[in-house]
Amino acid sequence: MIITNTETVTGYEITEMKGLVQGNTVRTKHAGRDIAAGLKNLVGGELKGYTELLTESRREAVQRMMAQAQQLGADAVVNVRFTTSAVTAGAAELYAYGTAVMLRKIG
Amino acid sequence: MELIFSLFVFAVPLVVCGMIIGRSVEKNHFAELDQKEAANRDFLVTNLKTFPMAAAGVQDPAIVMSEVVIGSDYLKSWLAGWRGIFGGEIKSLQTLQVRAKREAIVRLIDQARQQGFNAICNLRVNSANISGVAKSKNSLPMAVVIATATAYVARPKH
Repeated sequence: MIITNTETVTGYEITEMKGLVQGNTVRTKHAGRDIAAGLKNLVGGELKGYTELLTESRREAVQRMMAQAQQLGADAVVNVRFTTSAVTAGAAELYAYGTAVMLRKIG
Repeated sequence: MELIFSLFVFAVPLVVCGMIIGRSVEKNHFAELDQKEAANRDFLVTNLKTFPMAAAGVQDPAIVMSEVVIGSDYLKSWLAGWRGIFGGEIKSLQTLQVRAKREAIVRLIDQARQQGFNAICNLRVNSANISGVAKSKNSLPMAVVIATATAYVARPKH
């Protein structure tokens, strides 16, 4: 399945709109990771635990969105947008949404 | 008295620690970013919604995503606290944000390259919040950046 954050897909034309598809997740890391991040905040540098948290959350949200698109029988999801919100300390909410469409190859 | 004592026991070593380790971490990161960005000069990056210079009939485009969380050091946080009294630009936290943003774009390009693309368009760089309520006293200052783009194959530049 093609996923893009653009409104169109190069090399294809959109033939049918299947509608909005969405997926979200709220995830957190275990307390050890929070303590490690707290210590790392004294000396600076990347907080790898939190980067991982965001990567996992984003993957999960996209997968849920794709599952919905598959259910609708779509070829692609276009104009994908992500929003985040602060739920509680050390946790991330990631919400992915886009438009499921049918494509036809051109040229 | 006790306050002054605890200040010297905790704050001073941490500020010094931030000054020595934090500074070198930042300096190394900037050097690394300069080097990686110089190596990415040939890669076409735009924030246009269209696919500029797209090559026809090759690989399908795909979304690429990257996330970066960079922590502050004690010196930066301490300086930011002082700046809060007088107002003005918080230079120490500004460089932190810049590092996170540049790193996120470098990672996007890396990902796109790995999948065989040579261009990205519709680049979006957003900030996120995972430290809870930003105003609360015990929230740690950190730069949280999520970047998204669509990778595609572009015609080679002439």
